[in-house]
Amino acid sequence: MSSEQILIIGGGPAGLEAARGVADLGYKVVLVEARERLGGTPISSNYAALTHGMRDASEVMGEMAAAVTGNPNVEVRIGARVTSRSGEAGRFSVTVESGGRPEAIEAGAIIVATGFDHFDPGRATQQYGYYQYDDVLTLQDVEAMLKIKKFVKPSNGAAPERVCFIQCVGSRDRHIGNEYCSKVCCGIASKQAIEIRQMLPNCKVFIFYIDMRMYGYWENEIYWPAQEKYKVNYIKGVISDITMKGDKLMIRGEDTTMNRPMEVPMDMVILSVGMEPSKGTKEVIQVLGIAKNKYGFVETPHDSLETVSTSVPGIFVAGAAAGPKDLDDTMGMAGAAAMKAVGFVRKLNRAVA
Amino acid sequence: MAAAAANPVVPYAEKERLFLEVKSDPRFADYLYGCYECGICVATCPSARFYDFSPRRIAQAAAREDVDLFYEQMNGEIWECSQCFSCLRCPRKNNPGGLITVMREVAVRNGLHTAKEALEGYSRIIYKIMSTGTQVSPDMIRPDAFPDWGPTAKQTGDNLELWRRAMPPDTMHTTTTSWEIDDKTLGELYFIWHKTGVMDMIKTLDESLHMILMDVMEEKLEEAGYDVQ
Amino acid sequence: MIPIEIRKAESDKPRARFERRPEDAPEDLREKAFELEAKGEWIVQRVPGPHAEVKTKYGKIKKIPLQHTWHHKSCGQCGHIPGYSTSIFWLHRRLGFDYNDPRDQTSCTAWNYYASATSNAAAQAAVAMRNFAAAYETGYFPIIHCATSYGHYKEVRSELVHHKELRDQVRDVLARMGRPFVIPEEIVHYSEWVHAVRHEIAKRKVLDLSGITVTVHPACHYYKLVQEDAIYDADVYGGARTAIVTGVVEALGARVADYSTWFDCCGFGFRHILVQRDFTRSFAVQRKIEVMREEANPDVTLTHDTGCVTTLDKSQFAGQAHQGVKPAIPVMSEAQFCALAMGAHPYRVCQLHWHAAEYRPLLEKMGIDWKERWREFEDDLERLKKEPGKVMTWDDVDAAPRPAPEHLAHGGR
Repeated sequence: MSSEQILIIGGGPAGLEAARGVADLGYKVVLVEARERLGGTPISSNYAALTHGMRDASEVMGEMAAAVTGNPNVEVRIGARVTSRSGEAGRFSVTVESGGRPEAIEAGAIIVATGFDHFDPGRATQQYGYYQYDDVLTLQDVEAMLKIKKFVKPSNGAAPERVCFIQCVGSRDRHIGNEYCSKVCCGIASKQAIEIRQMLPNCKVFIFYIDMRMYGYWENEIYWPAQEKYKVNYIKGVISDITMKGDKLMIRGEDTTMNRPMEVPMDMVILSVGMEPSKGTKEVIQVLGIAKNKYGFVETPHDSLETVSTSVPGIFVAGAAAGPKDLDDTMGMAGAAAMKAVGFVRKLNRAVA
Repeated sequence: MAAAAANPVVPYAEKERLFLEVKSDPRFADYLYGCYECGICVATCPSARFYDFSPRRIAQAAAREDVDLFYEQMNGEIWECSQCFSCLRCPRKNNPGGLITVMREVAVRNGLHTAKEALEGYSRIIYKIMSTGTQVSPDMIRPDAFPDWGPTAKQTGDNLELWRRAMPPDTMHTTTTSWEIDDKTLGELYFIWHKTGVMDMIKTLDESLHMILMDVMEEKLEEAGYDVQ
Repeated sequence: MIPIEIRKAESDKPRARFERRPEDAPEDLREKAFELEAKGEWIVQRVPGPHAEVKTKYGKIKKIPLQHTWHHKSCGQCGHIPGYSTSIFWLHRRLGFDYNDPRDQTSCTAWNYYASATSNAAAQAAVAMRNFAAAYETGYFPIIHCATSYGHYKEVRSELVHHKELRDQVRDVLARMGRPFVIPEEIVHYSEWVHAVRHEIAKRKVLDLSGITVTVHPACHYYKLVQEDAIYDADVYGGARTAIVTGVVEALGARVADYSTWFDCCGFGFRHILVQRDFTRSFAVQRKIEVMREEANPDVTLTHDTGCVTTLDKSQFAGQAHQGVKPAIPVMSEAQFCALAMGAHPYRVCQLHWHAAEYRPLLEKMGIDWKERWREFEDDLERLKKEPGKVMTWDDVDAAPRPAPEHLAHGGR
């Protein structure tokens, strides 16, 4: 007889949506979150507006968390980690440690929703000086600033006049090993460019890219307004390094459209860092004994259309733990994982009964 | 160097043959993957700032197998590369500088007129390195050859023999070579040039240079008992 | 609502130190070389003890031999910057490390290869492996003077590891010469040795360099070829830029000033510096020298490669004629600078009379009485002139006693 409890690991957008889904289907959830609060990366990394709906991240995550924390079908364990797994589909036995105290939890199915980490720009093959120069930032650094509505040069607190984004930092790179595209950075950079132009109408904003990737409605909702309404400058040619000349950051690149090398001063440079499997994802892959792909994300079978299955029957995945995902993907996967987890447990019980 | 667009005098088959010779080099697969035209190679390239030269166009022409453009590049641009390998920043791990090295080898091996032109005035240096085992020896820094290097070129030229004796390392009291090289070592070097096909390349490039080198090398090779046939 | 911890200040960027991770490194060619040795494909010459350990780009360890080194000389250095090679030898002697200065050595021939391509992969690899065999047969471990030789040999190692046909071809050539087929465990540049012993050098300095401003020019072929195999140090540029030269200058107490074209090539060009020098000198002057002068105003610029010293030193004269006389920036290797710091003779050892850019104000600022030193050297020249064939020896130069044995006991560290 399978346990009718579903274990969900990770309390970010994927985990919260999956938990609500399972609860709505009438099944019990134990939701384990390693951090001291729910909300996942949008909260821990201080995201301002979510792409692409532009709703405030804390508001949205607050709603998602509320749907779960008040829910009689969901038990939330904060500050807790999964440390071992035994048993099989239908009767998994998982140890959850919280405050040093281990607890055994039974689950019929498990959903992994442990998400991603932002790429550390110190590792970029190109020399961007993130740890050297105060005014070189990442996308999440900018989210934190936009959240408190203060976009200024960290070095001296002045409003910048020239800001640029550099795309594909830590993605699409054979030297680094992250050969994939991180999917969301073009849209997020463009969104932030719009927000900066809204806050600072006299500030010039540039985006240096290899390819501009905004699929579906992101094209007309983000890319076109960024260029047409907000006059963001898109230049095809990625940057090779950043140095300082006087008090300006100097960036070097090629303006490939105009076919010439360029060197331009900037007040602030924002690195569009990609996604990598989070520490939690790597740990959980080990602990649960599920397969990972060559980049360290949870492996899902590509050739079938099973977007949320892992190598172990009964263990499912949702969100960026499986690779770069945008919020639409994540919410879709979370719902699918909830449905499949519940369906899996029901089938087992029906077979026995 | 100007290059005619789609050179009508050279048949397509010949251009294709040269392209395929580059492509079949074992290093080609290590040097060219895909190119997404990001321009990082041009960003770092010193030659791109001075010449109408683009490592990105080199990679693109090779990737597209654009035989006409490739042939133009082989007869022009490739000699503008400074071989600094700053282009190895390429995120796809392409090596435009490396592609150029192979293209140059093929140009030299096939005796392309533009290769000979590019290496005009360079033969004495080839002679020096191949026959003496060191390059740009002290006696080559003469004010007539390097007037732009300033007054020290004249001073060193005027005092060469004496100044070369006035330094402690005992292998460096030389003027015609950078350091003293053993005869046996030279014999081995000559053998390498012969056995790996370099002498054939020189013959195609510059027949008189080849003759002079053979003169110098034959004796030593015989003495050492090397069979270069 | 979820309790949210808003960032304290807009500048509250996570300022954690950058941590490098060995697991991010690409395939290790040294491991591949050992695997091939196990299959009987070649011999791997081990780094002799005692050796130093340094960290490379991804935080992996690289072994640097301290003594028993076979010095793979540079034709450009020995040819027209003789103080560079002499200083490298002098530093070894002063630190009490024995070395071999071979006659059984050819140039790496890479200058010609990169200039004219009148050679091919097999010839280049054979030249490299012949030199490595020559070192191996003396029992001394090769250490390479020129950064282009070093970068080229790193490439050769990669080609030999990946291409069996090339390996077989080169092995055959060497066998016919009666030479073993040997590759060293590490390919070591002398500036890596300088970095490894920089504190020993600093301990022996006799000049106060706190008033000297230095700009550093790193050689493209040192860190851009086979990028994972170059020294990066967490204490130098936070591990974000290669540490050689900068490391030792900081250890000596001089000030390193940054400039915006740090990553630019010097413009040497291999072929260009010989037959198309308008490119070389324009690039060197406009992209490096003028930028250094304007932004850093250095007393000297230091580099660690033959081509870079040549380019930066020799290009300034024509540049001055072009724009009107501006003070030159003296150029030398860090080896010569270290030697001067340790009290070496600027002419007998550092051979500065071969350098084109005006260096005498620098020597004055460093507290070196160059007038007196030049007078001494002119006396040397007079003596040598009187006896044809007589040469200067290390005894003429090394007035100081050899270092005490306890320095050797700890491998000079």
